[in-house]
Amino acid sequence: MSAQTDSTIRTDPMIETRDLYTNFYTFEGAVKALNGVSVKVRRGETYGLVGESGCGKSVTVRSMMRIVQAPGKIEDGEIRLFLSDDHKQKAIDILDRSEAYMRSIRGNEISMIFQEASASLNPVFTIGFQVGESFIFHRKAEMIEKTNEALTAELERGAPAPVSWWKRMQHALFTREHALLLHYRTRVAEIDRQIDELEGAEDPASLRRKKSLKARREREWKPDLVLSLVKRVPFLKRYQKRIHKTIRGEVITLLESLGVPNPQNVVDRYPHELSGGMQQRIVIAMALACHPTLLIADEPTSNLDVTIQAQIIDLIRRLKETSIASVLFITHDLGVVAEMCDRVTVMYAGDTAETAEVAELFRNPLHPYTQALLDSVPKEEQEGELATIPGTVPNLVNPPTGCRFHPRCPHAMEICKRQKPPVTEYAPGHSVSCHLYPAPADNAKESTDG
Amino acid sequence: MNLLNYILRRILLMLVVLFGVSLMVFTIMMLLPPGMRVAVYVHNEKITPDQLETLIDRYGLEDPAPIQYCRWMGNVLQGDFGYSVTASAPVTQGFSRYFPITFELMLIAGPLTVMVGILLGTIGAVHKDKPADHFTRVFAIVGYSLPTFWLGLLLLMLVYGYFGIFPPGYLSDAGKNIIFSEGFTNYTGIILVDGILNWEWGVVLDDLYHLVLPSVSFVILASALILRLTRSSMLEALGQDYIRTALAKGADRRTINKVHARRNALIPVVTVAGLLFAQMMAGLVVTETIFNRPGIGQWIVRAALQLDVPAIMFNVLFLGVVFVTVNLIVDIIYAYIDPRIRLY
Amino acid sequence: MSDSHKTEIVPDHTTKVLTDDAGFEVAAHPRVQEFIFSAKRFLSNPLSIIGLIIILGFALVAIFAPVLAPPENPENPYRIPHAGWAVEPQAPSEENILGTMEQQYDVYYGLIWGTRSAFRIGFFVVLANLAMGLVLGSVAGYFGGLIDEVIMRITDMFYSIPFLVMAMALVVAIGRGLNSIIITLIVIQWTTYVRVLRGEILTVRENDYVQAARASGASHLRIITTHILPNSIYSVLIVASMNIGVTVLAAATLSFLGLGAEIGYADWGQMANTARNWIVGPPGNRLAYWHVVMIPGAAISLFVLGWNLLGDAARDVFDPKMRRK
Repeated sequence: MSAQTDSTIRTDPMIETRDLYTNFYTFEGAVKALNGVSVKVRRGETYGLVGESGCGKSVTVRSMMRIVQAPGKIEDGEIRLFLSDDHKQKAIDILDRSEAYMRSIRGNEISMIFQEASASLNPVFTIGFQVGESFIFHRKAEMIEKTNEALTAELERGAPAPVSWWKRMQHALFTREHALLLHYRTRVAEIDRQIDELEGAEDPASLRRKKSLKARREREWKPDLVLSLVKRVPFLKRYQKRIHKTIRGEVITLLESLGVPNPQNVVDRYPHELSGGMQQRIVIAMALACHPTLLIADEPTSNLDVTIQAQIIDLIRRLKETSIASVLFITHDLGVVAEMCDRVTVMYAGDTAETAEVAELFRNPLHPYTQALLDSVPKEEQEGELATIPGTVPNLVNPPTGCRFHPRCPHAMEICKRQKPPVTEYAPGHSVSCHLYPAPADNAKESTDG
Repeated sequence: MNLLNYILRRILLMLVVLFGVSLMVFTIMMLLPPGMRVAVYVHNEKITPDQLETLIDRYGLEDPAPIQYCRWMGNVLQGDFGYSVTASAPVTQGFSRYFPITFELMLIAGPLTVMVGILLGTIGAVHKDKPADHFTRVFAIVGYSLPTFWLGLLLLMLVYGYFGIFPPGYLSDAGKNIIFSEGFTNYTGIILVDGILNWEWGVVLDDLYHLVLPSVSFVILASALILRLTRSSMLEALGQDYIRTALAKGADRRTINKVHARRNALIPVVTVAGLLFAQMMAGLVVTETIFNRPGIGQWIVRAALQLDVPAIMFNVLFLGVVFVTVNLIVDIIYAYIDPRIRLY
Repeated sequence: MSDSHKTEIVPDHTTKVLTDDAGFEVAAHPRVQEFIFSAKRFLSNPLSIIGLIIILGFALVAIFAPVLAPPENPENPYRIPHAGWAVEPQAPSEENILGTMEQQYDVYYGLIWGTRSAFRIGFFVVLANLAMGLVLGSVAGYFGGLIDEVIMRITDMFYSIPFLVMAMALVVAIGRGLNSIIITLIVIQWTTYVRVLRGEILTVRENDYVQAARASGASHLRIITTHILPNSIYSVLIVASMNIGVTVLAAATLSFLGLGAEIGYADWGQMANTARNWIVGPPGNRLAYWHVVMIPGAAISLFVLGWNLLGDAARDVFDPKMRRK
């Protein structure tokens, strides 16, 4: 890859949030978990999201995938995903899409791996089933094609009578389902194209049309009478087992490529029978099954041994080089950030404090919180005690007014209590949200705490 | 191998509990004066007062308790439970007469109860704090609070009394005439099954007609427990991390609820199946009494009212054995649906 | 719970963060804070308020029973007065505002004094069980070993027999009557309390503060009463509050089956028992005896419903697993 294309790739956006507000309506009151978060991940980069626990990192990425679960709700803001379509970038407004569309994106275009793999895996299903589900959700037509190829080959080779009858039925049913799936795909693609065309239109007619299109997108899948009947009949419904055999093969190949030893054995195991590092690999396999363009890793190495941590990080880095366009990496470990990321955003209590290239951030931290964070990490030439940040992360039901960091900030001024600092571009590619760095008068964004 | 070990251990434990149950039944029996206990050993119908003394003597009813226990246990293990006044027959004969009636009700109402409970519990959890959930919660709390007998009485008063449909009893007179006639072969004693086997569809329909009200009353009350359990464990499952993983994989709500959450949510429901069974038995006793179905439950009540000691002791013992067996089966099912358990 | 979004968003309530906006100055004692939070939560739930109103209503009726329905014979107020021995129940009239039951017993009087019977049964059984549960449960949970094994196997046996059937057998053995029912229910229901408390103590026992108390040489009794019970008693209290309804229901069922008080005793279950003969009215007026069927059953249902609502609310509020949901 030449330096020229490399730089253009890196300026194309992949996913972007603007002024995102997400609240959790708990019994104690509304937890204002995100307070206008804007981050922008570019195509081809590894982007870090850093902060203490409770600062809203996970909520940010869950909002990106729209999997914030009740009682959480995305209240305001914009999330735009850029998918490349014939070398053109098209922007997709994630908050304005139907749930069915989002399902086709999740695990397919954007995937996520989680902290605590043991809790992320369903204890009562085998590894093969759980990883294979990704294929069922997004690649079912392809899996059916493969299955039918195998079936045809077997029939041509000649199977004995009752078996061949069974195989012919399987083949027929799969063919029917395949046709249905393809039909569904083309229709859905057409609806999506029409919605894409309406992207950004604000006039009432277009909005109404968009709404009806979204509703249609949601209803588009129509179950087939014959298939749903057959799937309910005991014994007959076993015809589907054949496709699971195909999927099992795919899962084994996938696990092998991720360096899981003895995958033929692992697919039939239950999560609790595997070690922590192996469980995390399984979670990664689930995320990578459909070759996503964006991988979100939510503290994938916490609760793992140091050596396993290194292996997992190494694996993600290798995958980044080979198969995934962008990685959004969440961590509270600044060492990992320095090792992995190209750019990084520091978050504090639902606010973005500072965004910069990694080297720049470590060299020249601007925000008092970033400075404090870096001071609290041991360095090679460490002398004396480590610095700590006084106080704790504030209660987000009643967050501090103005800048949420001001109660703990050594440089707090009068204005910090009153006004939320705007995001200012301090240097190219280095923006900070702090009253110590006043914005040039022309592009200052006035916003107060909501 | 592990699973087999586990089952063997469970069976061993079950024997210990069964021994305890028999001890307990025996203790209750020992609370009675010897004159009443004598019925457990006697087989002919009438005992005159002057016979009593000699019988007490003959069966050693004033011997030390351990000796009496061994003697009683010996009889029990041989299948000899004494003579039941209320059944006017030896206890075992009475049992084979009454049990099919009870079994029939369980056959219809049991699966229905489980299905209604799990279905409503799932709906409640999935639509938490929505109208559907409020409905299931009201249903559950009503099912918990309404006395079984009152619901039965109300149903009888309104449906049978006022509208004149779904009568109490187990068969109409015409139906009874058929099943007690010469041509009707008793294969199982269960009228529903026998009716089909004898190709007497009139009897089958008549039987089902009489089963409607008891089943409705039973299902409303007994499904409440399953509903509550399913709802709360479903809510817990829906809050787990693996649900989020499934969401991130692109699963739709239906798959998440029906596959990922429910499989986990049913584990705690299965573990209390024993408790559920006990509750069902209690419901059965009252339901049979109110709807006048001559099954085990009604037999127990009549036995209790007429101080028919052998019948009561037998039924307590029988239900204890059934309960312990149910728990054993539950443990095995549990080991099957929750792979984690096999580690132990 | 390991779910990160929960640990992230749920603020810690026992130690309020000192912030400079006017609100909290000095944090109150955690237990006081916890209590205020619980009380607020309890009162914000309409269902628990309904439960509270129902139970308070019944309590008032029970307290003022002598005023509402003055007994003819103050020595034996639980006997329902009756005029004559006529068998057929009479519809509500001016004389008997809720009508009469079989043998002309006054339904209104039975309803009022039956409230006292219900409270008596519920409280007696639950208090006795609570006492048994506290003693046996703490012994089993705290000391463990052989004594624990023995107690738990005994509860297993009690668990193995459906409780209504067991109760019937016991009532037969010790004789009929309301007092027998109370004794029977005490004998049968204690196991739940022991199991719950034992389970709770097993987890509390391993806490550092208990180990510390042990290391500092505190006596077993002192450790149990000051360190273990205060931290594990909630679960048993919840069971108790939920069990009052269950107990009254069970007692009513036994009475209904004819194992309770004799006819004419002010007890709802017994009143419902007499109704069994009067389900269907004479031709032309099939619902003639509705009052005999409806009133005692409705009273039991309402009473049990009230306790169940309270018990549910108590569980939601005090159970640490449920409370923050």
